[in-house]
Amino acid sequence: MKRGIHRIKRAKDKENSKNLGEKLARLFEIPGDVIGSRPKVTAIGRGEVLIENFKGIMDFKDGMIRINTNNGVIKITGNDLKIREITSEEIIIGGKISNIDYDA
Amino acid sequence: MFLVHLWNYIRGYVIIVVTGKSIERFINICTKRQILLWDIVRKDNESAIMKASLRGFKLMRPAAKKSYCRVHILKKCGLIFFLNRFRKRRGLKLGFLIFISLFALSTSIIWDIEITGGKPEIAPKVMEVLKVEKIGRGTFKMGLNPKALASKIALQVDGIAWVGVELKGVKLKVSIVDSVSAPALIRNNEPFNLVAERDGLITHIEVYAGNPLVKEGETVRKGQVLVSGKLQNMRPDLGDFVVTKDVHALGRIIARTWYESTVPVSTTYTQRIRTDRSHDTVYLRILDWKIKLPGKKVPFEIKETTSFDKMIAGPFGLKLPIGLTIEKSFEIIEKQVNLTLDEAIRVAEETARAELAKSLPTDGKVVEEKLSHVEGEDGQRYVKVVIECEEDIASLVPVIE
Repeated sequence: MKRGIHRIKRAKDKENSKNLGEKLARLFEIPGDVIGSRPKVTAIGRGEVLIENFKGIMDFKDGMIRINTNNGVIKITGNDLKIREITSEEIIIGGKISNIDYDA
Repeated sequence: MFLVHLWNYIRGYVIIVVTGKSIERFINICTKRQILLWDIVRKDNESAIMKASLRGFKLMRPAAKKSYCRVHILKKCGLIFFLNRFRKRRGLKLGFLIFISLFALSTSIIWDIEITGGKPEIAPKVMEVLKVEKIGRGTFKMGLNPKALASKIALQVDGIAWVGVELKGVKLKVSIVDSVSAPALIRNNEPFNLVAERDGLITHIEVYAGNPLVKEGETVRKGQVLVSGKLQNMRPDLGDFVVTKDVHALGRIIARTWYESTVPVSTTYTQRIRTDRSHDTVYLRILDWKIKLPGKKVPFEIKETTSFDKMIAGPFGLKLPIGLTIEKSFEIIEKQVNLTLDEAIRVAEETARAELAKSLPTDGKVVEEKLSHVEGEDGQRYVKVVIECEEDIASLVPVIE
């Protein structure tokens, strides 16, 4: 019983702390990508997607790229996809993009 | 990003093919190790083409090993590889070296000397000083001390107030400021005589100061004192005591003077006639050096030569100091011409007049001209021209006691 409560509490704590960061960010009107390591996805037109704060690429195929971030996996699908540039901070994906999916 | 790409181009980059089953892992490891990758394209299931900097490519080996991928170079791009291509070309390198050394050589010598300011007669004097100092076109600029040169010119050339020597590029600029010479000092307490400049018959005397010693109608010889600067006054009241006063004699002594010239009459004279034939000798000219170009010798015995330069025209109306000097030689034929006596006399008269014209005074006027024919002892005829002038023959000379 005790253990169970503990577990629930822990889980709640985790959720709370997550919320706290967001709350703090919202309170001070700081963008989420600055305070935490939230990914920032910038799509410019249809041909370019820039993702900052990413962890790494999970899948790289001709029509689909999956990128691991702190908030889950971002999947980008499209035609003639290519990675224009990749550094430890940001990745620029080029090509004709049709979808940007979260949790895929 | 453009700047980054430019930097990468300068540093050099490689296009590589990565083959393996986990290319994603390879890319991830590369990004963690700060290896910049760009333009990654999937080729097929097991390979991708990407670009990486040279530095990145060198650090890629562990990443490839970890992800079981193989890396092949497709193409090397960038300035370094472009320049490497020239490394093997010796001729190009040699040419480049020669170019650089020629450039350095040609910019380290003086190509032109410009003298500005000053009277026209001073420039040749300055050039002479430069010649003594062995500075001219083609001298090396190294070791040239403009300040020392300026002081040397200022010391050795008279009539200069200030000299500035400046090296501007390949030009040596000498700017000169004339000095205004002090007027000749006339000491009023010293006696000056008026002395005859030449022989003559005095026709008119005007004396403003001094004691005249000659009268109208008198003939004087060259060097004779005409007006004395020593004014002497008898003072009977002081017991015939002579009072002397030193003055500058001043006055105009107009006299008739004669100029004569005798020219032998010869009935034959040599006429020099140019023929149609001419010959060019061509020199290559660089600065003041002349190099004779191969060609025939001048085939004429008697010749007249004129030379002119053909310099290469540069931009902005400049003339480069490189070009050709062409010496044109004309063939001359000497022809003996026989003249009649009248013609010969006329020719002799003309030469005599021309000779006289050189020595005639500028301020006098010609009064009369006499022509006479004289026969010498050996039967040679002469033409004698005598010109009579009226001129002021007085000149101011200090009295030497």
